[in-house]
Amino acid sequence: MTTLVSGIVLGSLYALMASGLSLIWTTLGVFNFAHGALMMIGAFVAWTVSEPLGLGLWPGLMAGIGSAALLGIIIEFLLVRPFYGRSNMLLITVMTTLAAMIILEKSAQIIWGARLKQLPRLVEGDVSVFGAVVSAHEALIVLLAPLILLALWAFTTKTATGRSLRAVGQNQDAAALLGINVPLTFALAFGLGAALAGLTGVLLGGIRFITPSLGAEPLVKAMIVVIFGGLGSLGATVGAAFVIGLAEAFLVLVLGLYWTPFMLFLGLIVVLIFRPNGLFGRA
Amino acid sequence: MLRTLGLLLALVGLAVVPIFVTDSYTRHLFILAFVYAVIASNWDLSLGYAGLFNFGHLTFFAAGVYTAALAAKTFGVNPWLAIPMGGATAVLAALIVSLPVARLKGIYVVLVTFGFSQLVLQLILSQSQITGGAGGMVRIPGLEIGDYRFIRDFKFGYYYVALGLLTLSTVYLFWLTKSPFGKSLLAVRDNEDYAQARGISVARQRVLALVASAVFPGIAGGFFAIYLRVAAPDVLSFGTLSLALSMVLIGGTATIIGPIIAALVLTFATEAMAGIRGMEEARFIVVAVGMILILRFAPGGLARLIGKST
Repeated sequence: MTTLVSGIVLGSLYALMASGLSLIWTTLGVFNFAHGALMMIGAFVAWTVSEPLGLGLWPGLMAGIGSAALLGIIIEFLLVRPFYGRSNMLLITVMTTLAAMIILEKSAQIIWGARLKQLPRLVEGDVSVFGAVVSAHEALIVLLAPLILLALWAFTTKTATGRSLRAVGQNQDAAALLGINVPLTFALAFGLGAALAGLTGVLLGGIRFITPSLGAEPLVKAMIVVIFGGLGSLGATVGAAFVIGLAEAFLVLVLGLYWTPFMLFLGLIVVLIFRPNGLFGRA
Repeated sequence: MLRTLGLLLALVGLAVVPIFVTDSYTRHLFILAFVYAVIASNWDLSLGYAGLFNFGHLTFFAAGVYTAALAAKTFGVNPWLAIPMGGATAVLAALIVSLPVARLKGIYVVLVTFGFSQLVLQLILSQSQITGGAGGMVRIPGLEIGDYRFIRDFKFGYYYVALGLLTLSTVYLFWLTKSPFGKSLLAVRDNEDYAQARGISVARQRVLALVASAVFPGIAGGFFAIYLRVAAPDVLSFGTLSLALSMVLIGGTATIIGPIIAALVLTFATEAMAGIRGMEEARFIVVAVGMILILRFAPGGLARLIGKST
C-alpha cells in the first residue's frame, strides 16, 4: 500500500514536470534541457523568500513559481527566439538550453552554496490513506497535481489564449494569418512550462534537500515520461507519468534502489525500438 | 595541399613542445586537450557529417575508461593491451545504442542516446563492488616499456602517446570522410530521400557512422584511465558533456579540424580559469555563454571563421 501511495506521489510530480516539458515541445518544437534547472531555481527562491527573508511559505511559493516563469521567458527570448527558422534549430536549441542549464546550476552553486537546504512542508502532519501513513504534504501533492493538470487542459482547450498555443504548435503561419501573436504565444508557452517546473521545485523542496543539482534527476525522469508517453499530448504525458511513477515505486520494492533506474532506462530503450513515437504516440 | 602542409607543420610544432615545456602541469594540459580533441573530432563524424545529433560519445569514452580500468587492474591485462580494448567495448556500446537510433528521428535520437548515457552511469554506480561506484577505481597500473616507467618522466612519454593517438585518429577521420563511405554519409544528411533512392540504406549508414566514430573515443577513454590511473563516473556528468559538445559546435561541425582546435583552446582556457580563485564554478558559465555567442553570431564555428578571414 505504501508502495502504491509513493508511486502516486512520484507520478504526480513527474506529471507536473513532464507536462511543462511537453507544453513547450508541442508549441515551440524545443526540448528544454533547462527544465530541471528551472525547477531547482524555483525551490531555491521559495526557500530564500520563506526562510532567510522570513516572509512565510506562501509568498515563497509564489516567488518560486514566478521566478521560474520569468527565467523561462528570458531563456525563450535570449536563447531560443534568435534561432527560429534555422534549419538546424533542434540541435541549436538543445545546446542553448543545455547551456542555460549549466549557467543556472553553476549560478545557484555560487549564490546559494552547496549546503543542503529544505523547505518547510506546505501542510504539517500525517494522514492515513487506506492504512498507509503519508505526510499531509505528499497527500496534498497528490490532490493538487490533477487539479493543476485539469486546469492546464481546460486552459489549452477551452480558452482562446490556450487554443492559440495549440494552433501555433500545429501551424505557425496559419496561426499568424488568423491574427495570433506568435512571438507572444511562444513566450507564454515557455513561461507557463517554466512555472510548472517552478511549482514542482517548491513541492519537491518540502520532500528532498534543495541542492544545485536537484533538477538533474527529475529532468531525466521527465524525459523518460515524455518519451514513454510520446511527446506532444498532455493526456499521454500524464498517463505515462503515473505509469512510470508506479513502476518506479514497485521496482524499488522488488529490485531495490540500485537496479530501478537501470530497468527504467532499459524499458525506455525497448519502447523506443518498437514504438518510436512513444507508448501512446501515434505513428 | 596547403592544408596538409599546415597540418604537418602543426604536428611537428606539437611534437617539439615537450622539449621546451618541461613542467608536468602544462604537459598534462596538452594531454587532456589531445584526449578531448579525439572525442570532439570523432563526435563530429556522427554529428557533423552524418547529421546525427547524438549524446553518445561520452558514453563511448566512459566505456573505454572502465574497460581499460577493469582489464588492467582487476584482470591484470598489460595496460598497452587494455587501452585498445577500450575501443572494442566502445564499438559494442555503439552497436547497442544504434539499434534504436537507426529508426529514430530528431529529438528522439538525442533523448535515447542521452538515456543510454544515464543507463551506463547507473550501471557504474550500482555495481560498486566492480566499478567502485561513485568513488571510482584508483591505482590503475600505468604504462611501462621494459624497465622504463612512464610515471617518472614528468609526463614526457604520455605526451607522445596522446599526441600519437590524436594523429592516428585525425588521419583516420580524414581518410574516412574523403572515402565513398564519408560521401554517402553527407548524402544521407543532406537529402535522405534522394540518398535512399540511390540505393543507400539510411539505417545502415547511421549504424556504421556511430560505430565508426566510437572506436577512437573508446581508445582515448582507455588511455585516459591508464594515464590518470583513475576511473570515475564523473566522465558522464552534464558538465563534461556540455564541455565536449561545445568543442564540436564552437570548433565548427563537419570540419574535423575545428573541434580539434576548439578542444585545445577550450581545455587550456577552462583549466587556466580553474586556477583563478572563485572561478572554479564560473568557468563553466563562461564556456556556456561562449557557446551561445558562437551559435548566435558565428554558426559555422571557429574553423569557418578562420577559413573566411584567410
